[in-house]
Amino acid sequence: MKKTNDTTIHKTGLGARASRRLSNTVIYIILILITCIWLFPFFGIVLESFRVETTQQVPYLFPKEFGLDNYIRLFKETDFLKWFGNTAVMGIATAVLQTVFILSMSYVLSRLRFKGRKGLMNFMLILGMFPGFLTLILIYKVFSELGLTNEMAPVGLIIVYCASSGMGYYVSKGFFDTIPKSLDEAARVDGATRWQVFYKVIMPLSKPIIIYTVLMGFMAPWGDFMMANYIAHQTSDGMNVAVGMFEWLSRTNLNTHYTMFCAAGVIVAIPVVTVFLFLQKYYVEGVTGGAVKG
Amino acid sequence: MATVKLTNVKKIYGKDTVAVQDFNLDIADKEFIVFVGPSGCGKSTTLRMIAGLEDISEGTVEIDGVVVNDLQPRDRDIAMVFQNYALYPHLTVFENMAFSLRLKKVPQEIVYEKVTQAAEILGITEYLTRKPRALSGGQRQRVAIGRAMVRDSKVFLMDEPLSNLDAKLRNQMRAEIILLRQKIDTTFIYVTHDQTEAMTLGDRIVIMKDGFIQQVGTPTEVFDMPLNLFVAEFIGAPKMNTFKTDLVCEGGKYYVTPYGAKIEVSGKKAAMLADKKVGAREIVLGVRPEHFKMSTAGDPAAIPCTIKVNEMMGSELHLHVETATGDRLIVRIPTVSLDDEVRHSMVYGATIYVTFEGKVMHFFDPETEQNLLV
Amino acid sequence: MKRLSALEYLKLNKFQAFLYNLKLFFCAIPLWFCKLGRGILNFFKNCGLAIVNEFKDIGYTFAKGNWAVKLSFFIFGFGNFFYGQFLRGMLFLLFEIVFVFFMFVPIGGNPLGTGLYWLDKGNWFKVGDTVGTVQGGFQYDPIYDTDVWVPGDDSVKVMLYGLLTIIFIIGFIYTWRLQVKQCRICMDITAKGKKVRSGKQDMKSLLDDQFHKTLLSLPLVGILAFTVLPIIYMVLVAFTNYDARHDGYSNLFSWVGLEHFNALFDFGKGGLGLAFGEILSWTLMWSFFATFSNYFLGMFVAIMINKKGIKLKKLWRTVLVMTIAIPQFVSLMYVSKLFDSSGLIGRILGQIPFIDRYLDVNHFTSLWDSPDVAKVLLIVINIWIGIPYIMLMATGILMNIPADLYESSRIDGANTFQQYTKITLPYMLFVTGPYLLTSFVNNLNNFNVIYLLTGGTGNPINTDIGTAGGVSVGHTDLLITWLYKMTLGSADTRYYDASIIGICVFLVVAVLSLIVYNIIPSTKNEEDYK
Repeated sequence: MKKTNDTTIHKTGLGARASRRLSNTVIYIILILITCIWLFPFFGIVLESFRVETTQQVPYLFPKEFGLDNYIRLFKETDFLKWFGNTAVMGIATAVLQTVFILSMSYVLSRLRFKGRKGLMNFMLILGMFPGFLTLILIYKVFSELGLTNEMAPVGLIIVYCASSGMGYYVSKGFFDTIPKSLDEAARVDGATRWQVFYKVIMPLSKPIIIYTVLMGFMAPWGDFMMANYIAHQTSDGMNVAVGMFEWLSRTNLNTHYTMFCAAGVIVAIPVVTVFLFLQKYYVEGVTGGAVKG
Repeated sequence: MATVKLTNVKKIYGKDTVAVQDFNLDIADKEFIVFVGPSGCGKSTTLRMIAGLEDISEGTVEIDGVVVNDLQPRDRDIAMVFQNYALYPHLTVFENMAFSLRLKKVPQEIVYEKVTQAAEILGITEYLTRKPRALSGGQRQRVAIGRAMVRDSKVFLMDEPLSNLDAKLRNQMRAEIILLRQKIDTTFIYVTHDQTEAMTLGDRIVIMKDGFIQQVGTPTEVFDMPLNLFVAEFIGAPKMNTFKTDLVCEGGKYYVTPYGAKIEVSGKKAAMLADKKVGAREIVLGVRPEHFKMSTAGDPAAIPCTIKVNEMMGSELHLHVETATGDRLIVRIPTVSLDDEVRHSMVYGATIYVTFEGKVMHFFDPETEQNLLV
Repeated sequence: MKRLSALEYLKLNKFQAFLYNLKLFFCAIPLWFCKLGRGILNFFKNCGLAIVNEFKDIGYTFAKGNWAVKLSFFIFGFGNFFYGQFLRGMLFLLFEIVFVFFMFVPIGGNPLGTGLYWLDKGNWFKVGDTVGTVQGGFQYDPIYDTDVWVPGDDSVKVMLYGLLTIIFIIGFIYTWRLQVKQCRICMDITAKGKKVRSGKQDMKSLLDDQFHKTLLSLPLVGILAFTVLPIIYMVLVAFTNYDARHDGYSNLFSWVGLEHFNALFDFGKGGLGLAFGEILSWTLMWSFFATFSNYFLGMFVAIMINKKGIKLKKLWRTVLVMTIAIPQFVSLMYVSKLFDSSGLIGRILGQIPFIDRYLDVNHFTSLWDSPDVAKVLLIVINIWIGIPYIMLMATGILMNIPADLYESSRIDGANTFQQYTKITLPYMLFVTGPYLLTSFVNNLNNFNVIYLLTGGTGNPINTDIGTAGGVSVGHTDLLITWLYKMTLGSADTRYYDASIIGICVFLVVAVLSLIVYNIIPSTKNEEDYK
């Protein structure tokens, strides 16, 4: 009796280990598959950017002839450098301004109590349900009166990106909510004004969320097509990369610009990916924190 | 160093949630006052109103004769220690303690002197360059106290400073606070839910419940003469036994008749009963566990009961017993007074006889729950 | 309906419990409406009471106030001056002067003040009247000896200035009320023998107890100017005939009232109603699939990576996160081309006989031409885009689930799958409930994925709908991309239709949010899992 018991235990023990090994193998296979699928477009875009033999789409992946032709054409024949510069300027300006707007808003809503706080939050929630870009119809009209649409479109776009960014306070409010309230109170008893509490106590503790907000602000203009296309569609000088490159893949331009698009895509991706990979930790914290807080 | 005076202070949250009701208290200079009560009784709220962290709905708070209702916390000249320490995580211990001085732009040499002095007293000199997260709970608590100390403020507020520590550390810190009090001679207001802390620390204790002050008095006063049932049960551990019984008046003598026994009221209590001209009536009788003693079957004053739980505490036994009517009593018997044989017989289900002295009982009105002798 | 007590409820088996809950839910609906109705009623009642109180307060201030306070009813800030608040007094007075000057002082030869002038030109809500009064036109110019364009009013501007003037007037009334109230407060304070705040203290308090005003000023001005004002403006446009032909400049547009809303009930070909319904149903479907496919697959990937014994966790995660870093338009447009007829994947797929025949029979050149295939492709590619986000988020949450829950469940005899369904999933769903809602709404408005994948070239035109709102509608268009095309400006742009659809989108989102918010448990029992 005892013996059989022992063997069954032994057997299941072995079985468990074997099944774990099996399941781990399956998982590894899936993960490798996923990695391939996820990386495929990036390999593709990099490889195709070096293709010399043709500028069209081809049914094979590896170029027959490697070269920098596409990159050279990019800088010589197109306004790409201009767009790139525009986007970089917008990215930096948006990063700074948006951070100021979002942090002010979220700090106030999270840590200060005043009449109308709840009402303000509800108001912004409802406001956010309205399709935002409809506002562009009026904004575009006003901007074109003010001369902020053609060459000056980047300035106009910075304003568009930043002005209402206070409404996106949720993630950073979630962060501020996790800082104990007693810290503020201790500081206030210690003799700090609310302003001193803000910059001497809370801001030094908020490095992760500040970096997250800056990162988000910096990345916004690089990926934005919707707003930029509305404000900056007129003059090539005022475009950002997305709007500028969009036309390259239209039916008429596709065959002449396809590989150049790939080259431009690679160049656009470099600054953003670099910044992103360096600050990945903060991004992950922001995403997780934001989701848990709602 | 200042007096604190609270007059008709009231705290109302929202429209009609009353947290503190008509709070009146005069705190003398250099007095150590303890607010004690169960959670949600309004003790912390009162403290926070004194600190300026909560608005005062009605009434006035005066510090040193000045009404401070409309003053910001920083203008009230108070220091405060928080339950969760509230140390600034990004600053070193030194900078934590120096924070208030820095805000006042005190010169560095004075900052240095004050902080090191306080650190010396608290025994945290070696940690001055560390960040709070590298400290243990007890050390953090010291830093929090030190941060309050360097301010030389008029009033020293402490909001449950020991409740985040484990039991052993808590006892140790409690003793240290008593010592500290000798060194920094100022007015203390201390909030706790632990009656032991309240009894050991306070010059006077303010016992609160549901926003009302139940009793204000020295530890001895509140222990010996609780004004009502709540205070009687709240102060002292294990808590006072209270049960309904009759007060009988026979031949000028008072007797109580709990569970069939007949015990004569004697000493001061009898005199006080006579003084108040209390007649025969139903009462709630309060007897502290330590005032019980063992008795025998034949004694007319003996209450027979069965043992339900026997807690051996070392120097004493805590017996949870059940009377014939099903009431539970807690009886505390010093171990030295018992023979080994008797001790071993005290097992679950065994019947014992207990009684108590006539001079140590408390009489309460069953309706109003007030002490009949006050 | 009879409510069961907690113990009675426990007696029910699973099926009965489900039935009971279902019944409870439906029985609660009328009650819910009752509550809503009562809420609205209460709201109006409270509003009424508040207004009455305001008037009482104003009356009280006037009756009890001394001459200075009474005077401040007409001269802003006089009360403040009287009680020594010079800074506030100055600001109030300045505001009044600017207002009066703007509204009533005639400049430039027109008989009305600037504000009144613009207000008057707007012909506000007079159905049939134009916004703006002077129509621009060609007139003979003797100098050039030809017809030249003589500009008239620009309706867009007239409406904007009118709107600003109205806002200014509202601001004026509010400020008047504010300073009257301050008079009362000053009166009360002085009556108690205390001192009112000086200007210096006011300035200081902006960094202290009024710090929220300082911090909020910048973001709020931004939101008011760039979101609230344009939205009000756009809502107003719905009541006009602002379109490509009446662009306000070469042709004034006019107030038409509710006329254009009728199109919402036009379910014929080209009707707004038909288009809205069709697109809405695809939008909801898209949002549902996009949200939940991402959610479950992302969670699955996260669980796999987090499993004990799996190595190189960081590598797997970084690979996925890379996709977030690369600007979406680059990856999306590239992928879109990959699936095109001449793209790498498109060609390979096109050679599979079954797909090949399907494309052939329908005369499609690429996968994007087929409405159904395009829709499936969108959802699949969206998974590619979305999984990394969910994976990151789920990883964070998974790590937060206390390990002892798993240990105790293993001792209770649960296997891996049961652990997933009984612990992981409920926990995840609970914690991410609000996120799912936001994610659903975001997907409703997921412009980038749809527009960049199919908006440019591939979008197959939905011939059943035809041209709606001035643009041709594709099968894969979401409300948001449709709306976007409507506003882009072409010979047939109808801004009023865009405005109407915008309002509808708002209603859809609001109603959905409200319902979901009332259903998900996370909002009710916040502490359950803490």
